[in-house]
Amino acid sequence: MNLKTRKILDRAFAGSGVFSILLMTAALVVILVPMLIRGWGAIYFTATVEHRHLMLERFDRGNPERVADELNSTRETRAPLYRMITEFEKQLETSDSESRKRYTTPLRELKKAIHDLLGPAPGAIRPMLMRDQYGQMRWGRALVKLRNVLYREEWDYSDPTRGGIKALKPRAAEFTGTPVEPLCAYLENNLTDMMLPRRTLYWQFLTDNSYDSHFFGGIWPEILGTFYLAVGAMLFAIPLGLIAAIYLTEYARETRLIGMLRTCISTLAGVPSIVFGLFGLAFFINTLKVSSSKSVLAGSLTLALMILPTLIRASEEAIRAVPHTYKEAALSLGAGRWHTVMSVILPAALPGILTGIVISMGRAAGETAPIIFTAAVSVGKPLALWQVFSQPTPALSWNIYNLATEHEAVDEIRHVQYGMVLVLVSLVLILNLAAIILRARVSKRLKG
Amino acid sequence: MKKIIAATTAAMLMGIGAATAGDANKIVVDGSTTVGPIAKAFAEYYMGKHPDVNITVSESGSGNGAKSLINAACDVATMSRPMKNSEKDAAKSAGVLPIEHIVAMDGIAMVVHESNPLQGLTIEQIRDVYTGKITNWKELGGPDRPIVAISRDTNSGTYETFETMVMKNAKIAGKTEYVGSNGAIRQRVLSTEGAIGYVGLAFREGVKALKVNGIEATPETVVAKTYPIARPLYMYTNGRPKQDTPLYDFITLSDSPEGKKIIEDTGFVPVK
Repeated sequence: MNLKTRKILDRAFAGSGVFSILLMTAALVVILVPMLIRGWGAIYFTATVEHRHLMLERFDRGNPERVADELNSTRETRAPLYRMITEFEKQLETSDSESRKRYTTPLRELKKAIHDLLGPAPGAIRPMLMRDQYGQMRWGRALVKLRNVLYREEWDYSDPTRGGIKALKPRAAEFTGTPVEPLCAYLENNLTDMMLPRRTLYWQFLTDNSYDSHFFGGIWPEILGTFYLAVGAMLFAIPLGLIAAIYLTEYARETRLIGMLRTCISTLAGVPSIVFGLFGLAFFINTLKVSSSKSVLAGSLTLALMILPTLIRASEEAIRAVPHTYKEAALSLGAGRWHTVMSVILPAALPGILTGIVISMGRAAGETAPIIFTAAVSVGKPLALWQVFSQPTPALSWNIYNLATEHEAVDEIRHVQYGMVLVLVSLVLILNLAAIILRARVSKRLKG
Repeated sequence: MKKIIAATTAAMLMGIGAATAGDANKIVVDGSTTVGPIAKAFAEYYMGKHPDVNITVSESGSGNGAKSLINAACDVATMSRPMKNSEKDAAKSAGVLPIEHIVAMDGIAMVVHESNPLQGLTIEQIRDVYTGKITNWKELGGPDRPIVAISRDTNSGTYETFETMVMKNAKIAGKTEYVGSNGAIRQRVLSTEGAIGYVGLAFREGVKALKVNGIEATPETVVAKTYPIARPLYMYTNGRPKQDTPLYDFITLSDSPEGKKIIEDTGFVPVK
């Protein structure tokens, strides 16, 4: 190979390296930026008066007089709407049965659409479900609902060889010549006064309980559940992992058995997490009965099993990386094996071990599969510390999945899901960042 | 270090003691994704009145609910099908006595994408779609578009009801897509023009429910018993719950006027 080709090869390699790094950064940006922006939307958004109403009623937040003023003023702006409807209903009562028949369904649909936007009509019986008790909290959702009031989606199926075509029919046209006709225009023009949208920082999203299966409130039970699960997993995994790593590196002889054991541990690290989940259900809950139902305890134990191999390998590598001279020096000074491990080798290996610990913790916090059958539920209260031994908990990872697929009103509560994603991703990022900083500080101290 | 370990151990022991004492105030509900909305709304309502009780709800499918109850891992198994004899036997040998409570009635709606011009299908046509005999909407009078049949997984009670009431034990074609919840079927159909799926009545938002044998899938037709694919929804407990316990109150909520209103508002049909 002559010099020229080598140079070209070299440059090509460097170029592709730069390219792949750029690609990776771009991918990261593409993934993270929308996630952050949408997630932030759960906390900082344009809230309507309904949001402030809810905050006052359920959480006792906000200035009662001001909210009452706002509610009064919106009630006044909304009143003509309901007046138009009542007037029309009265008119229908006395009219002939044909026009009654003609208007029943459109009017019911219109009332439902208005209810979805503004909440219950004044004087109506309070609905049982909280989601029906208030109008739209978020201005963005309110605009979507406004469109549903103004237009009816109609599908044109006239050509059966092709799929239907969506058309928007203005609702006002359905009520021409009735007292309801001006309703849509009035609503459209005065919606701002009816909802009083205002930019709001709802930081309590992080610390509020969830209401009516995540329709309202925050995600505190999930955050706390994730915290319990991750910390619990570490409580079991750190001692076990460290002891195993020390034994494998310092005490065990290189026999066949130990070799096999090492292979087993490495294999275990590659086992899919759902297998751990099912094992946890079968072993911890059904066989050992560590708790009568799913519980944080069972989930933590399962997660601990899952991260144990990684933790052992990381600690082993860290211990192995400690220069042999350290050990020799300690032993030559007359220190016993135990003493050497505790006072010389472990401190020197600490940065590596800590990194392993923090990264495993991030993984424990983010895993879904191991906790599906052992710890996680769709709704539940935040647990007190003593309840973690017997009760299951919502957790960020599982609830993101639940809200994305199973929830009956996915589209209404996307923001909650995004908020959860933001918190989970930030949590894992912060943990990893902490690992880096910790590592730097500890190794600096050791060197100094 | 020693102090920390001692403190943690002490805290754990205390925790275990306290946990066994506080168990009466938890209700663990597991099972059907169809009954999920009712169970969650009941839990919300009940906890609103009794803040000291913690009711957790998971939606993992009727089959899982039954298993969970047999293993005594839940207090209430929500199911969208009755318990099978094999499950009852398994329960008996595990010392669990499943007691059935009918919570609500539900219809299984056949849902398609809104752009689908079809208005209705007969049971036979649905069966042919799922056995793979009919593979294109053209054959049913729709546009030339391949049918994407979507089914619930075999763990689901809705699946079992569908199998007995519609498939009449004919085999579902191999290329059918299986998904894990009502919500997932809804979203799959929402985003796929050629899709067909089946869901509980509460999951029809944004998709088009077809008439079955000429009858619309609504709470009204389920009440009138005219809709052909209707079924009760169940909650199972281990033994009859004792009166004046939270479990008893929770289970009997569906008989109260408030409970019935909740069932109605979540889109199901209360039992008379």
